[in-house]
Amino acid sequence: MAPVLEVRGLVKEYPGVKALKGVDFAVERGEVHCLLGPNGAGKSTLIKCVSGAVAPTAGEILLDGDPLPVGDPSASLRRGVATIYQELDLVDELTVAQSVFLAHEPRRGPFLDLERMRRDAAALLARLGHEAIDPRTKVRELRPAAQQVVSIARALSHDVRLLIMDEPSAILDDGEIETLFGVVRRLTADGVSVVYISHRLDEIRRIGDRVTVLTDGRTAATDLPAATPTDELVELMVGRAVEQLYPERPHASGEVVLDVRGVRRLPSVRAVSLQVRAGEVVGLGGLVGSGRTELLRLIYGLDAPQAGEVRVGGRRLPPGRPDRAIAAGLGLAPEDRKSQGLLLDWSLTKNVSLADLGRFERGLLSVRAERAAAREQLQRLRTVPADAERAVRELSGGNQQKVVLARWLLRSCRVLLLDEPTRGVDVATKAELYRVIGDLAAAGVAVLVVSSELGELVGICSRILVMREGETVFEVDGERASERELLRHAVAPTETADLIEEVT
Amino acid sequence: MTTSPASGPGTAAAPPSGGGRARRLSGVRLQEYALVLVVIALFVAGSILKPDSFPTWDNVRNMLTQASVVGVLAIGMTFVIATAGIDLSVGSMVAAAGMFGGVLVDPEGSTLLFVFGALAFATALGSINAIAVAYGRVVPFIATLAMFSIARGIALLLNDKLPVGLLELNGGSFGDPAPFSLMWFGTGRILGIPVSVYVFLGVVVAGWLVLNRTRYGRYVVAVGGNREAARIAGVPVRRTILSVYVLSGLLAGVAAVLLCARLGSASPVSGNLYELDAIGAVVIGGTSLAGGRATIVGTFLGVLTFALIFSLMTQLDLSTEVQQVVKGAIVLGAVLIQRPEARL
Repeated sequence: MAPVLEVRGLVKEYPGVKALKGVDFAVERGEVHCLLGPNGAGKSTLIKCVSGAVAPTAGEILLDGDPLPVGDPSASLRRGVATIYQELDLVDELTVAQSVFLAHEPRRGPFLDLERMRRDAAALLARLGHEAIDPRTKVRELRPAAQQVVSIARALSHDVRLLIMDEPSAILDDGEIETLFGVVRRLTADGVSVVYISHRLDEIRRIGDRVTVLTDGRTAATDLPAATPTDELVELMVGRAVEQLYPERPHASGEVVLDVRGVRRLPSVRAVSLQVRAGEVVGLGGLVGSGRTELLRLIYGLDAPQAGEVRVGGRRLPPGRPDRAIAAGLGLAPEDRKSQGLLLDWSLTKNVSLADLGRFERGLLSVRAERAAAREQLQRLRTVPADAERAVRELSGGNQQKVVLARWLLRSCRVLLLDEPTRGVDVATKAELYRVIGDLAAAGVAVLVVSSELGELVGICSRILVMREGETVFEVDGERASERELLRHAVAPTETADLIEEVT
Repeated sequence: MTTSPASGPGTAAAPPSGGGRARRLSGVRLQEYALVLVVIALFVAGSILKPDSFPTWDNVRNMLTQASVVGVLAIGMTFVIATAGIDLSVGSMVAAAGMFGGVLVDPEGSTLLFVFGALAFATALGSINAIAVAYGRVVPFIATLAMFSIARGIALLLNDKLPVGLLELNGGSFGDPAPFSLMWFGTGRILGIPVSVYVFLGVVVAGWLVLNRTRYGRYVVAVGGNREAARIAGVPVRRTILSVYVLSGLLAGVAAVLLCARLGSASPVSGNLYELDAIGAVVIGGTSLAGGRATIVGTFLGVLTFALIFSLMTQLDLSTEVQQVVKGAIVLGAVLIQRPEARL
């Protein structure tokens, strides 16, 4: 029997760039096929070719042995290929049922058959094991994990045979990932094939059947068993062994720089107190929605707390004033680099200098001094491309994160707040970012890191706090922390037992 | 594509579409070069069609004098649009500011009092826009549309719908106005160039320096490009938004002085549709209506383009009605050829 999907010698050229230089791989019926590769390896281009969003320059895409018309998204969909993108493409104001049947609503005569829409949507959600999601709820009211389930239900409404998932776990915390895996297992049991893209190597062993590794637009290896050791996969991806993912763990010795006292803003943050010393990396773990991001926003002054105060170096910060927080030495690398961290059409230089323009201003701005200073910080972080006058939009996720960090390096800030700093970043760049964080701590910066990757927190933090439902519920020394223990504290006590069962 | 020696796979460069984007970064530059060609082409066309009257020093001087009023408004509009805002009230504010200054110096007063009164009143009206948008969180389109009506109403109320004569303020006249009379600002000349043109060019140069070479200018564009990212980088977002509407009001006051000084009177019906001319010049110039990208040079060239087209149409005896149709068509066309993400 022919494989569900077979890609042969796929090449895609853009003006001036060859994104795919010859990719071959095949997906069998009912399997979870993992696609690995560093940023820029061509994974996105590959799935765009298969889903019909772009037409390949050369090569073949066969579905059940028949060629798939290229560059025609609706043909791909008709043949049963659906894609769940990392950024969910749902309309906030529609209900779940409307979203599932968007653009192919069931009708009775000229009118929408609302009753059937609700019933069928509920049936699809039940098939995914999520009967709890009410088809009448608005998408806006759902958490990201539930929104993702709605996206998958929408794909299923098209009678899908091949589901492509582009980093589905990036927006989920560890508990929710387990739920996602449950959904994937149900699909494959039904005979649906899944192409699963992720940067989190630990997931591959848990959910994958076979692995294909892409590097630099080519298939580096295919049909690897999911049990392939992590070191081997990393070596295939990076082309060399990454000796050490995590740098030496920093140990705080300095005085308390960031002092958060009883900060509250309901409903997400309930009376949180914490301290970060100079040279210390403190991790903030917890489930998505446990109030971690909201806490960072309160500390940074993006929102004003209802109670409590934030002190930096002993001085109280005025609430709701990010500009004053920055003046006091704070810096923030926000969760969503693209929508909150950067001006995508601006050059690297301008993005780096924005928070510290005053130092280049003597009456008028000295553009030359600005460029030189920005370039210095970007080089220090080994940002690519080296041309600092290009638009940030062109950079890969890891390099965009470096631009955000360069901004705060330029200011020599005393406290750095990092929200999911390595989300969507490949493993080699992750190692670089960890090194930068370690170096900053060694230079005396107090670092507070929010991450949904518990392994990362265990790897780099001096100390780890776990938040649950708006409160810190657990604190542990980084040396002694284990992922399992952190997860146990992150989930609510009632759910704990079965969740731990599943995960371990 | 990159020249960095550090090219491990992890640091591997840009996404596939990189090449195209690199060229787009200089899109503003390209549009400016293209506009220079348009301005030259229009001048050549005019010189061929009307060789006797078009390429004359008198005509050039006339065009520039007339362009200076809208030109000053367009510089203020560039700042407003850079923040992804819009100011529909500038034409009405010109009329209201002129009338306020006029009533202030009628029957007697000085040029200084008129200028001060017009600038102060326009700034006050602009401040109302500013507060409504920055603190009242009213959509700029609606806030300034309301001011469009309010300011016009005030202009009509101030002197019972009648204009105010300003010809003789501080020894002014049409022929040879005394220095620093009001008429001197409109028709007086230094080295053969009208004073109002100096004022316009001064505003252009100052606008360029502020937008491109000050922290404030960078903040203005940052707020339009990504408000949340700007806030996280420490940009005082509200104050920045507030300031551009105040600035637009102030420059409407300057435009009012130039207009009254040229006509020798303040009229409550003056300044009609100037907002369209100003917005049109800004958009032709390449400033993005979605914010985040602004060019003073482009706006300046946009003003010249409009001035040339209307001078040419007038000399070809095309009626003002036809001119109005052409004006609207040019603005629509200019927005359509902007790259998609730059539109609203």
